[in-house]
Amino acid sequence: MLKKRIVPKFLIRNGRLVKGVRFHNNFREAGNPVSTAKVYDAYGVDELLFVDIDATPQGRPATGSIIERVAEEVFMPFTVGGGITTLEQIAALLASGADKVCINSAAVADPGFITQAASRFGDQCIVVGIDYQRRDDGRQRVVSRCGTHPTDLDPLDWALRMQDAHAGEIMLCSIDRDGTMDGYDLDLIASAAQRLEVPLIASSGAGSLQHCRDALDAGASAITISSMFLFSDHSPIKVRTYLASNGVQVRSQRGSHS
Amino acid sequence: MIAIVDYGMGNVRSLRNAFEYLEEDVAVTSDPGELEAADRVVLPGVGAFGDAMVAIRERRLEAVLTRLALNVQKPMLGICLGMQLFARTSSEHGKHSGLGWIDADIRRLDVARPLKVPHVGWNELHFAADDWLFQGIRPEEANFYFVHSFHMACHHAADLIATTDYGGPVTAVVRSGNLVATQFHPEKSQDNGLKLLENWVQHAF
Repeated sequence: MLKKRIVPKFLIRNGRLVKGVRFHNNFREAGNPVSTAKVYDAYGVDELLFVDIDATPQGRPATGSIIERVAEEVFMPFTVGGGITTLEQIAALLASGADKVCINSAAVADPGFITQAASRFGDQCIVVGIDYQRRDDGRQRVVSRCGTHPTDLDPLDWALRMQDAHAGEIMLCSIDRDGTMDGYDLDLIASAAQRLEVPLIASSGAGSLQHCRDALDAGASAITISSMFLFSDHSPIKVRTYLASNGVQVRSQRGSHS
Repeated sequence: MIAIVDYGMGNVRSLRNAFEYLEEDVAVTSDPGELEAADRVVLPGVGAFGDAMVAIRERRLEAVLTRLALNVQKPMLGICLGMQLFARTSSEHGKHSGLGWIDADIRRLDVARPLKVPHVGWNELHFAADDWLFQGIRPEEANFYFVHSFHMACHHAADLIATTDYGGPVTAVVRSGNLVATQFHPEKSQDNGLKLLENWVQHAF
């Protein structure tokens, strides 16, 4: 049976891991990406996600050299995002050892880019990241360019459109919950998981073991965890043990050689 | 020396890293002479079937690879899309002919909700416990990393040596003589994957 995935999410800024709250404030230093990846490999997490958060604002693609070093050290799947706008950049990241790329702003700017990328690299390589925020009128709307460009797109409509454009997976990230450790956006996760035919990755909000279980029970195929791993005493082993004892299908094996 | 076929469509760096971790001598190449000289050949692949066959043919690799696979009977390992290329045909975005080394066809995964396509993540293998390819891998912890939308339908049951369950049995490993191929990514499957690659490297065909 296919296992639910536990995916640490690493934000990279100037070659270091950082973590903030709601995308903008209070960025805290969180370590070296390569050594941290090795630690999580030893924990046997299921996948890694790296997002270079300076990439889109600075108009450059995610840092390839870090990716190459990660691929030399860990033998597990990982996804890279941040600033990807061309097919050549995707080819370079995959050649560096990434298994999938996460595209966000470039999809908003040109939905056709997702179709092109999927047709060249395969749907399964292309994760579309969707950041969204609740507006003053109470509606949730997609925000691109690392939380700086509001749009009129409804996140669920956009997810379905990206699926039609051949995204292989959809990652939903609530900016309002990012870094708060207050729990995932279960309502949207549940409705999106029900309507999507591709896997859904729930991102942002994890703060407790119960939160992780709730997001997976709501239908997410994978959850990303950032602050909770970096700034609390919840390890991946603890998360997995808790999920397994509550009937969630997770990998039992300790994964790594390290 | 292990040659990883470089035809522009594989995660060659990850594979090279895995074989180097196992302290194997490895080359990433599209040079027919180097492929001929290699002790073993690995055919990786990420992307679409039709594009991959075009890329192999453009590099004039189809004839040499087929000769090594079927006539020389060099040990060859196909991974993910590389595995699927071993089949006769694929119905991914149209009808395409493959390398035709294994009597099988590639079809889209046909699953019902709530199962998703692509099949992404860690899934268990079911295999015969005494098979050399799986020595040292505990059956109850035999999770491997899959990421695919199409699967191999084998026409000879004997070729099928491991399956995984995704809305029914899905081909995970095929083997026919010197040819071995995995739908999952051993180079991304942590300890289990490295062990499987080591078993392949050490097996005398």
